Amino acid sequence: MTDPALEATGLTKAYDDLVALHPLDLTVDVGQSVALIGHNGSGKSTFLRMAAGLLEPTGGDLEIAGFEIGDVEARATTSFLPDEPVLYDDLSLREHAEYISRLHGGDGFDDYAESLCERLGLADRIDDLPTRFSRGLRQKTSIVLALVRPFSLLLVDEPFVGLDQPGKLVLLELLDEVHTDGAASLVATHDPAYVDLVDRSIALRDGDVVYDGKASVDQVLGLVGG
Amino acid sequence: MSLTLAESAAVVGDLRRARRKQRVSAIHWVDALYQVYITGLVALIATVLASGAVGDDEVGASTLADVRVHGAAAVGVVAALAVFLGLRSGSRGGPLALERPDVRHVLLAPVDRGVALRYPAWRQLRFLTFVGAAVGATAGQLALRRLPGNAAEWLFFGALFGVVVVGLGFGSALVAAGTGLRSWLATLVGGLLLAWSVADALDRAPTAPGTIAGRLALWPLEAEPLALLAVAVAAVLVAAGMRLVAGTSLEAAERRTALVGQLRFAVTLQDLRTVLVLRRQLAQERPRSRPWVPALGRSPRYPVWQRGLRSVARWPASRIVRVLVLAAVAGLAMRGVWAGTTPLVLVVGVALWIAALDAAEPLGQEIDHPGRTDAFPFPRGQLFLQHLPVVALVSLVTGLLAGAVALAPIGDEVPVGVALLGGALAGLLAGGGAVVSVVQGAPEAVDMLSMSTPEIAGARTVIRTAWPPGLAVIGTLPLLAARAAERGISDPPPLTALATVALPLGTLLVLLGGWVRLRDDIHAWIKQATDQMSPSKAVERVAAEREAAEAREAEALRESRALAGIEEDDAADGEDGEAGAVAADTERASRAKAPPRPAPKAKPRPNEPAPGFRGGTSAKPVGRKRDQNR
Repeated sequence: MTDPALEATGLTKAYDDLVALHPLDLTVDVGQSVALIGHNGSGKSTFLRMAAGLLEPTGGDLEIAGFEIGDVEARATTSFLPDEPVLYDDLSLREHAEYISRLHGGDGFDDYAESLCERLGLADRIDDLPTRFSRGLRQKTSIVLALVRPFSLLLVDEPFVGLDQPGKLVLLELLDEVHTDGAASLVATHDPAYVDLVDRSIALRDGDVVYDGKASVDQVLGLVGG
Repeated sequence: MSLTLAESAAVVGDLRRARRKQRVSAIHWVDALYQVYITGLVALIATVLASGAVGDDEVGASTLADVRVHGAAAVGVVAALAVFLGLRSGSRGGPLALERPDVRHVLLAPVDRGVALRYPAWRQLRFLTFVGAAVGATAGQLALRRLPGNAAEWLFFGALFGVVVVGLGFGSALVAAGTGLRSWLATLVGGLLLAWSVADALDRAPTAPGTIAGRLALWPLEAEPLALLAVAVAAVLVAAGMRLVAGTSLEAAERRTALVGQLRFAVTLQDLRTVLVLRRQLAQERPRSRPWVPALGRSPRYPVWQRGLRSVARWPASRIVRVLVLAAVAGLAMRGVWAGTTPLVLVVGVALWIAALDAAEPLGQEIDHPGRTDAFPFPRGQLFLQHLPVVALVSLVTGLLAGAVALAPIGDEVPVGVALLGGALAGLLAGGGAVVSVVQGAPEAVDMLSMSTPEIAGARTVIRTAWPPGLAVIGTLPLLAARAAERGISDPPPLTALATVALPLGTLLVLLGGWVRLRDDIHAWIKQATDQMSPSKAVERVAAEREAAEAREAEALRESRALAGIEEDDAADGEDGEAGAVAADTERASRAKAPPRPAPKAKPRPNEPAPGFRGGTSAKPVGRKRDQNR
């Protein structure tokens, strides 16, 4: 039997007396596309950052494809696209893509990386430093870096913030391709329309799961307001 | 797909080389040269100052005997302090200050984390070792001038001791980070080692581990092979740390990446307030969600005081412990001062000043948000002034605690009256120093003085930096006056002597309050006076006055024409001809057809809120359902 893409058991996170995530049991199957929805402060980003290995759980277990979080195999499997682009100031877009691909055992800046840049409208900026990019261009660079490497679980936090409409459409296409290729995706978003495009929606409220299943836009609005 | 060690090393190495190439190409040789010049200059000045302080005369026989007996323990405190700081740093994700993209892209990649982290660790260790060796060798050279021994030995063992201190501190930090040592445990272990060393230096405890390292520094006086154990321990700690470094917590490392850069920048700017805020973030020192005292008064008359008290009521336990420890340190130093060690006034003042900086936190938050304070319907100075009672209260309590430690009947205690009054006054002045630190804020990015000659700008920087703790040290003058009276150097009894000095200090505090209240007005006045004196501003002023005069003249001319029955448009006839006359006729006709203008509505007075909506004074947020349903 194949291990699920992600499996959380009794997962909690607390900052002193503030509980960011109550004990959470959650399984994301291989190839499943999931939307993570909820108010600000509901625990979406905390969960994603724990799954990415950036935050340490206060309690419970979290496994990625059957591997403990933080293991080399778990890192090889998981790609994280953060809400705030994190880039080197002294590497161009091409160098970023090249090194991140190589760090994951890839060939460097290959045709796929180039096609990603073209689709996201970055073809003319490939040799520029990100310090000269706008917020939206930095976000697009971040998307390239998340997709330029192999993965079987994509964690995405608020991906549409700062993107123009064409960029948003391209990102939706790319997320669809990720799904078609068989990778699981977990996308935290405030965009209710996105739930129509995924297999499953999980709604969090104050660190608790309040909905888990296929949802419509109206249901989402009812759950998280709007 | 995960990478082998060799592959990891190759890719990470390539990444670093590419980045170094970009960085080096961005550095201008003039900047690099200037940096070397400044570093050299600072090192030279520090050496000359230290050299002057040490003096040239060889110490007497009794002092030499003292150094032989207590010197190693005293120097060993430095080694213990390094371990304490290292353990604390390691428990908070240090000592490495990684870049955020390194955490996100390299440490999250399936590469060996040891490979990725050892390089920055070695680089940092290399630099610190160089600094440690240089400082140690300089200290050895200075010691040679007063103590007997061979010059080469003093230099060598001074440098070796510096390197060992770095190794002990850095190695402890790496081990603590790699093993995920809890912060409280790191503080406990490090604190015990430090306390043991201090007690040993005061001859109140058996030989501390730090003393063994201290013997290395004093090897030229007395060679002791056991001291080499410190070298071995430092080497083992560094080796273990390098092996364990892969276990560094990513959460702590990322938190650190975001703050360390800002912290360094704030230190460079002598921006004490930012340093404090960032340090608290680094230590994850957050106010409590539930205050220690939940039901504080809600009188509407003193909102600022209550805001301050609530802030204090939310102090986290770590901050309370820190203030208590600082009060205890100040109290112990007061005992030392009373016993005759006058330089300990510096410890008293600085400890109470650091404690008072926590008390000034609510005031600091007002300073942090000038946009918010400018929106209040009263001057900023008034708001700042209202924050002072809480700062004074907390500082007073801290000073009294220090006094209580000073009067404890063990060893050389201070008399009750002197201890409590002296402590209270020292606390209040320390609070004043903290207020100055916070209110003066960071140096402005662009001001005239910072662009003046280095002598003027440098002197100003020194005054800005030294004045606040200096004020706290001045607060210990009553204690010194009482001590002088106790020893019969002056006539009045100690308490009277203390009170005599207290009076001018009280005046100083009143003046300080005035400065806080009127600081903005004083700055505005200075700016206005500067503008008055500026030649370019004078030219602008004359031009503005000329324009105003012309406008007045034109207005007077219009009024004269109106009185004489000459319409504006008629006057313009000569210039515009027939077209002007037609336009004037049209306007006259439209004026005749136009209905009379309604009388303007009486406007409410600016300070009077519109009826039915009392804004913030109703204490009822608009739109909150539970309020509207009442």
